[in-house]
Amino acid sequence: MSETINFKIDGQSVSVPKGTTVMQAAYQMKIKIPHFCWHPGLSVAGVCRFCLVKVEGRPKLEIACNLQASEGMEILTDTPEVKEAHKWALEFHLVNHPLDCPICDQAGECGLQNYYMEVGKYQSQMERPKVLKPKALDVGGDLVLDTERCILCSRCVRFEKEVTKSEALGIFDRGDHAIIGTYPGKKIEHKYTTNLVDICPVGAFTSKDFRFKQRVWFLKDKQSVCPGCSTGCSIDLFAKEQTGTYYRIKPREGESNGYWMCDTGRGMYRHLNIETRQRFHYVSKNGQKIDIDQKESLNQLASKIKEVGPEHVSLLVSAQYTNEEYEAFFDFFVGKLGVKKVYQWREPTEKLNDFDGILLRGDRNSNTHGLMATLKKYGVGNQKIGNEFDIAVSSAAKVVIALVPEIPATFPSLQSNLQTLVSLNFVSFWTVNSEIEKIKGAKHVVPVKGFSEKKGSFTNHFGKLGHLTSPFVSVIEGINCVASTTRKLSEYF
Amino acid sequence: MGNTSDKIKIITKYEGMPNSRSLDTYLSKGGYEGLKKSFSMQPAQIIEEVKASGLRGRGGAGFPTGLKWSFVPQNIQGPKYLICNNDEGEPGTFKDRYIAELSPHMIVEGMIIAAKAIGACKGYIYTRYEFFEEIKWLEAAIQEAYKAGFLGKNILGSGFDFDLDHYTGAGAYICGEETGLISSLEGKKGQPKLKPPFPAVSGYLGRPTVVNNTETFAAVPWIMINGAAAHKAIGTEKSAGTKLFSISGAIKRPGVYELPLGYSFERFLNDDCGGMIEGRSLKACIPGGASAPILTPEELKGLTMDYEAIAAKGSMLGSGAVMIIDDRMSMVELMKVIADFYHHESCGQCTPCREGTGWLANIMGGIYHKEGQKGDVDKLWTVAKAMEGRTICALSDAAAMPTKAITKKFGDELRAFIERGAGA
Repeated sequence: MSETINFKIDGQSVSVPKGTTVMQAAYQMKIKIPHFCWHPGLSVAGVCRFCLVKVEGRPKLEIACNLQASEGMEILTDTPEVKEAHKWALEFHLVNHPLDCPICDQAGECGLQNYYMEVGKYQSQMERPKVLKPKALDVGGDLVLDTERCILCSRCVRFEKEVTKSEALGIFDRGDHAIIGTYPGKKIEHKYTTNLVDICPVGAFTSKDFRFKQRVWFLKDKQSVCPGCSTGCSIDLFAKEQTGTYYRIKPREGESNGYWMCDTGRGMYRHLNIETRQRFHYVSKNGQKIDIDQKESLNQLASKIKEVGPEHVSLLVSAQYTNEEYEAFFDFFVGKLGVKKVYQWREPTEKLNDFDGILLRGDRNSNTHGLMATLKKYGVGNQKIGNEFDIAVSSAAKVVIALVPEIPATFPSLQSNLQTLVSLNFVSFWTVNSEIEKIKGAKHVVPVKGFSEKKGSFTNHFGKLGHLTSPFVSVIEGINCVASTTRKLSEYF
Repeated sequence: MGNTSDKIKIITKYEGMPNSRSLDTYLSKGGYEGLKKSFSMQPAQIIEEVKASGLRGRGGAGFPTGLKWSFVPQNIQGPKYLICNNDEGEPGTFKDRYIAELSPHMIVEGMIIAAKAIGACKGYIYTRYEFFEEIKWLEAAIQEAYKAGFLGKNILGSGFDFDLDHYTGAGAYICGEETGLISSLEGKKGQPKLKPPFPAVSGYLGRPTVVNNTETFAAVPWIMINGAAAHKAIGTEKSAGTKLFSISGAIKRPGVYELPLGYSFERFLNDDCGGMIEGRSLKACIPGGASAPILTPEELKGLTMDYEAIAAKGSMLGSGAVMIIDDRMSMVELMKVIADFYHHESCGQCTPCREGTGWLANIMGGIYHKEGQKGDVDKLWTVAKAMEGRTICALSDAAAMPTKAITKKFGDELRAFIERGAGA
């Protein structure tokens, strides 16, 4: 058992395991100690000298990030002396900062700006020419680097060394002419580059993908789960609500992902925007596409199922929908109607057990575990994952209900799969994306909600639930998730 | 004033002898006798002896040497390291190179004794690369010591093994800071490490390490031979022993002098060094290297050269680099040289130092180039104040302390220069 240390921060008592730093304790207690270089997911550098605190009985201020809590210690974070130290620490950080906030993507979520309001608010005393450094450098990945904005906190360098274990990034030269940069002939080439944008407390690293697209204060963020693979990273999804446009995804501290997420996951907002969404129910008659309303659409599907009988219906299901949707879907089709033929729609190129050692898994489906569990519960489908798509196609029933994979980016075979399915007897495509629109002759298409627009949960690789708890309003009016669509369909039986 | 048994020679014992660097010369006057003596002692006894001698680190900080050695854990598995900090870089200081020139074996002997005391298996002498000759002399001494059986396996049949190598630094001032030196020796960028952990627990390659200044090691053999009490009897109560002073400026006899600590500054300047050059007068003195706050003639009156007396005047003995400033020297130029030096040498890790040293140099550059503003002198002081005591190592303080002293004591001269500049 580890020893417990009792001490106080600003009069609040706290007990922590021995070895905990004052900064870690304050972070857990949500007591704000200003900092730039400290990050809960990285080693301690102790270089920004911002987190100075007063330890009762000791003469000098000390940095909270490298200060181990000891029994009976009393820490003060807002004495006049500490405040003065914080003010100066900030001023030093701004001496050579270009203050180009109006054209900086970080504006609105910048450590320098935020701390200026909290601990600064002084007239700058710097009246001499500033040190000029290279700007707008393409250093690889999703990254653009502005070394003039950089405050040399070294978070990025530590991330590279400690998390991705790559060595492209370093600090060159010394003193106030020190700059972050890549070694000659090297670029940052791993799959986690955008994390550098997140951990950069200022606007030194900006994202090529997000650059100059939107001011962050117009964006609303909601908690969600990344649907990009079976890890299920906790994320914040950012959209402009007025226009219903999604702009970016950032990781949120979570059990499955720690503090990070991969660049592939960052792109999981793209398919949600209206240009790539399936917007209408439609049927094809004589090669002509006819838009119909939901009632008519589901009525026609119900009639078709009744006409052929449940024994001639099969279900082709992708593992990119929520547990709640699977429950409603199988409860009706298998439980009520008695459909027996159920197949998993999987990407043939996926290597299920691949893992990059950090977060990204070969299973690019958000809910393989959830789907398998529901199939097992209803006693249908194959309990071993194989390429069932071909079997489903060759043993095609008269009616196939297909839950189309939501995210085309994780499903390279989507177009060819859809092409194959369109040639079959009668397939009802339930889909988030509009890939099916590129193929003529789909007999029945039902638009459904994307992961950002519904409540529900995914079961990740470890069997843990990730909750989609705070959905955005759907960018398309009047559409439902798979669960409500199923319930509405059931009304015709 | 304690005992100032005049002109006792500990470090400069071999001064004036032909071939003073050779092993034979060194052996002829008791060389390696201290080593033999220490091999008859237990490691803890050696440490106690050094503690009792009152020897303090001669690099600048003046930390008690025996105490530093005692922080190294004794009974642990794995290697421990010993490093000689011969990266003499404090502006005004040129004493360590003199030891290498005079008696490199004294450094080697001191290191072997220290290695025995802390149980180190391997040592390095880290010298700045500008010391081309000294590097050769040190390497030659190491070779001679190996041949004579003072280094390597089973030294003098004692069963104790110790290997010693020389390492040439690249000349950065910051590599004279002990953890910066360790980083450099490890092949990394020469940047100080965050403390704790301290080197005695986790130093070179993460192992217990002691780093001492060259002069500190050189004092050890004498202590072994003559005993702690004899050493303690020299100098003052708290500043025991002798110290090398490297004195420069417009004086008749600049150079390196070995003096008992507590020696009179006036006597040193006027008798030993022959006083000021004709026609020059004493304007100020920097008593312990560029980072030591400047002292005015008023403050120098009655001053003795020991850690406590100089600290009482608000400055420090530092490395013992005494810089005499005469009436022809401009404080604007002096301040600019100091500001530029620290700006150039800041490693850039800690924000207050990285930005502060640059800011000081930036303001001083403005003043020097006649673009000075009215409030600049006060600003220099304010910025320097904010740089103090806030960083990993002492470089920030080293830049701040002289800046504060010069702007406070010679602010009027700077202000007058700014006003003239603005009018010109």
